This record gives sequence, structure tokens and C-alpha cells, in this order.
Amino acid sequence: MRALRLAVRLRPAKLALAVLGLVVVLMAVGDTIAPYDPLHQDTTAILAGPSAEHWLGTDYVGRDVLSRLLAGSRLSVVAAAEAVGLGLLLGVLPGLASVYFGRVFEWLSLRVMDGLMALPFIIFAIAVAALLGNGLHQAMFAVGVLLAPTFYRVTRAAAIGLRQAQYVEAGTLFGATRWRIVRTHVWQKVLPTVVVTTATAMAGALLVVSSLTFLGIGVQPPAPTWGGMLASDLGYLTQRPFGPVAPALLIIVTVAALNALADAIRDATGDGAPASAAPLHEEVPDAISAAVRR
Amino acid sequence: MRALHAVGRAALIAVPVLLISTFITFGLGALSDQNPAAAAMGETATQADIDRLNHEFGLDRPFLERYATWIGDAVTGDLGRSWFTHIPVAESIGQRLPVSLSIAALALLLAVVLGAAAGIGAALNAGGWFDRAVTAVSAALSTIPAFVAGIALIVVFSVLIPVFPAGGYVPPSQGVGPWLTYLMLPAVALSLDSAADLARQLRTGLVGTLRENYVTGAVVRGLGPRRVVFGHALRNGAGPAVAVLGLHVPRLIGGAVITETVFAMPGLGQLATTGALQGDVPVVQGTLLVAIALVLVSSVVVNVALARLRPGSGRTV
Repeated sequence: MRALRLAVRLRPAKLALAVLGLVVVLMAVGDTIAPYDPLHQDTTAILAGPSAEHWLGTDYVGRDVLSRLLAGSRLSVVAAAEAVGLGLLLGVLPGLASVYFGRVFEWLSLRVMDGLMALPFIIFAIAVAALLGNGLHQAMFAVGVLLAPTFYRVTRAAAIGLRQAQYVEAGTLFGATRWRIVRTHVWQKVLPTVVVTTATAMAGALLVVSSLTFLGIGVQPPAPTWGGMLASDLGYLTQRPFGPVAPALLIIVTVAALNALADAIRDATGDGAPASAAPLHEEVPDAISAAVRR
Repeated sequence: MRALHAVGRAALIAVPVLLISTFITFGLGALSDQNPAAAAMGETATQADIDRLNHEFGLDRPFLERYATWIGDAVTGDLGRSWFTHIPVAESIGQRLPVSLSIAALALLLAVVLGAAAGIGAALNAGGWFDRAVTAVSAALSTIPAFVAGIALIVVFSVLIPVFPAGGYVPPSQGVGPWLTYLMLPAVALSLDSAADLARQLRTGLVGTLRENYVTGAVVRGLGPRRVVFGHALRNGAGPAVAVLGLHVPRLIGGAVITETVFAMPGLGQLATTGALQGDVPVVQGTLLVAIALVLVSSVVVNVALARLRPGSGRTV
């Protein structure tokens, strides 16, 4: 916890938190401050450029781009958060359990996580949307399941490192239960790593959400999303070449802020999760590379 | 021989992974109430239609038996038939795979060339303006999703300065020149993220290696900078970068699916997306199986290459 407080004082973290705070506020109150109904079609102003009435212009059926962006933020961010939450649940708990619940569970969970790591995000999410019905919850279920191995690995690595630590051994000798050890010592150690991973996973999930909605997976057409807006802009580039700028910038700035936040926490804690600001599946040693190196 | 052993061991891991991941996918398909009659006829399907088509596609048999048949057929190259068009799935995938693979392969090549040039340049000039420029640009690039980069490239190079086509695909049999023209923008869009990551890793690895005593020794012995960097430092400094490259291969395969949609190319992505929107389960499952197989094969290849590149890596760890 101390490390997290330290991290928040760093300047890049403050900036990132400010950006993220703004996104969250826009998400929460977006539809009340939006100048128009995101589905309202103004047929007198189709594919209009920025003006006093429409600050960011209008799209191909005359819908206000700013209002659609505000409304789309909620769908995109909530969906990404849903996926990350599921990934946390399915990753952290088995990660801890794999260290403390005996060999059979350890072996089984490692194999399942290896299997999940071989699944490509987008294609798996498309497949799940096809099998369980085309909705954002179904697609996010798929993304969450695929995020689980990342959380599983970082949690497990931190917990394994602690199994041998002398103060944990001392705690055990003093009669602390396994649950107490996990709750006090292990959790303290795992928390910063999990927070870093959550931030990068959130960035990755936002990219996946916008990619999927761009493909039309998970949303029904009139509903606005960041990716869906880009997809509809793509058809009218000759009339409105700068149309994609606003939704694209919103995606990029949010993702960059999440990555910067993760970097700041990592710098402050010193150890943290390995690898760079790049999104998913970064902490390698997967079974195949281990087999080759053996 | 060592390489062969490594391949064997990796395959021993890859096969169960393939079985587990396909089992998960197939299980989801069985859990859902999707059936060919509802998919093809919608609300008008009668119970008799449903039963008839379920029987035709073997859906009235037990789950495990169906999985065993499916995976057994898949090994022989039979992925079943589309519920809609009744075209064999393997045939549809065979037509589209070259498109996706072309994009992914060209993107990989571009990523290696751009990333290596930027990374080596930055390491040689550590602390200088080029180094800082590479760091800043690569940090910026890794936050831009491939499909956004693709849209930006279309705006600049097809709409504002029309030099490249905004979309479409021409097979290499109709001329390598046109083929490359159509592939260039999607491949560049897809490669940026990997190139940036590669440049970063290569820079870090090389900066560390260039401080080693044996590099100083080589310089003292009077070897030219080219020989020192490419003969001595690169081989040892490139390890992390090659490992990262291995991680990027699956990402490139997944990313190709979206990039080709941006550029309206008839690849696996289009097949999977239309299949998903129609509820065409065999098509989607087949695409996923092929994608998983590609990821596993490329993972084995990269890891074996890594073991060959650094003979020392086989002994450590």
C-alpha cells in the first residue's frame, strides 16, 4: 500500500490519474451534458465539419459526433472493466491456490492457463460471440477468460517467491494459519504487482473492446461505441478525412494514461511486474519456451 | 540433433495445449443452443427441420463423441461444413489463409527491419537525439491500435496523397508488384507496434552488451565498429528482442484479422466475423483451430531459433 501511495505522488502518475479521472467523469455524466441525443439524426447537417452547433461535426446520417463519443465512452469503459474484473477473479485466486492447494491443482491449473495463452484474443472473442450470442457481455467474458493467465502468472510468481521467505516461515512457526499468511504477507507482496497488471490489462482490454466493436462484434449498430464510430467513419474518408481523429485520440490517450500509470507504479515499487508498457501476454516463460530451454 | 530434440519436446507441450484449448472452444459450442436450422432458417424452422439438420450435422450424438470426431477429422484436414453455405470449412479457410498470412508475414519482416534499424541506431547513439527520438516514438506507437494506425495510413496515403489503394487484395499470381502495393499499408499498420517493442528491447539489450569487457576488448584489438556490433555485441544483445518477437507472432496473427477488415481484404478475419454474426459455428471453430495451430507452430519455431541463436541459453536456466 505504501508503494501505491508513493507512486501516486510521481508526476507522470498524477497526469495519468487526471486523464483517467476525466474519462471516468465523462463516462458517468456524459449523457446528461451531451448536447444532443446520440441517436438523433440531423438531416440538414450530414457529414458536417466542426461548427458552433456540432463541436466535432456530424457523421454520415447527421448524428452529433461529440454526443456519440460521450455516450460511447460508457459502453467501452464498462465493457473493458467487466473483462478485467473477470480476469482478476479467474487469475488471482487460482494463482494463489496453485501455490497453496497441492500439486494436483497446481498441475491442472498450469495446463489450463497454457491452453488459454495459446488462444488469440480477437479470434477467440469472435468465436465466443458466435457461440453464445453476439453481445458485449459474451465477448467480454471471452476477453476476461483470456486475461486470466496474465494475472495467474504474476500472482503465482509473487506467492512462490514468498513461500521460502524467512518471515513467512517465522509466521508459520508462531502458529499463523495459512489463510492469515495469505491475507497479511502474501497479499501485501502481490498487491502492487496486481495493480500494475490491472492497469496494463485495462489498457489492453480497451484496445480489444474497440477492435471488436470496430468489427461489429458485441454491439447492435445504432448504439455508439468508440470502435463502431471508427468503423462508420471509415466509409466516408473522402468526404470527411479527419472524422476518425476524435474517437482515435480518445482511445489512444486513455490507453497511454493507463500504461503511464502502470509504469509509474512499477517504478515506485522497484520490482513489480516484468516487461514494458506493451499490453498483453508479456510475462513469457510459457511451457514451450521452457521445454526448448530445458 | 539438439534442435530436433528441442522440437520434439516443444511438440510434446504443444499437442496437449492444442487439445485443451480446442476442447474449451468446442465445449462452449456445445453449451450454447446454437443449431444449424435456427442459424440458416431463423424463426421459420420447425421442430422437424431442426431434428433433420441436427442429425445431418451429427449434433444428436453425445458431446465427447462429437469432439473426438471433430478433432480426428481436423487432423486429416476436414473441418466440417458451413451450416449456411454447406461449403467445406477447410476450403474456405484455404482460400483466405494466404491473405492473412501475407499481411502477417510482411508485417513481421517490416517489424524486424524497422525495429532492428531503430534499436541498433539508438543503442549506438545512447543518450543522443536519435536515441531519445526512438524512445519517444516507440512509446507513442505502442498505444496506437493497429486498426487506428491503418485508418490514419488510409487518410494520409490514399485520401490526401493517393499513392496506395485504400483497400482490396490481389493475389501474387497476378503480379508481385500489385500484390505488394495492396499489402503495403496494412502490413505497415500491423508492424508498428511490434517494431516499436523490438526497437526498445534491442536498444536495452545492446546498451548493456556494449558495456561488457569483451566488447571493449574487441575495440582495443582494433576491430572496426561494424565488426564489433554485428560480430560480437548483436548476437548476445539480441536475445530479449528475439524472445519478444516470439510473443509478437500470435499478436500479428490476431492483428491481421482486424487490419484486413480495415482494408476490406478477403482474409480469415472477414470469414470469422461474418461467420460469427450469422451464428455459423463450424466456420468459427475451424478458423479458431487454424489460428491456434499457427500460434503454436510459430511459438515452437521462434523458440527453437532462439535456442540455436544463443547456444548458451540451452545450458542456463
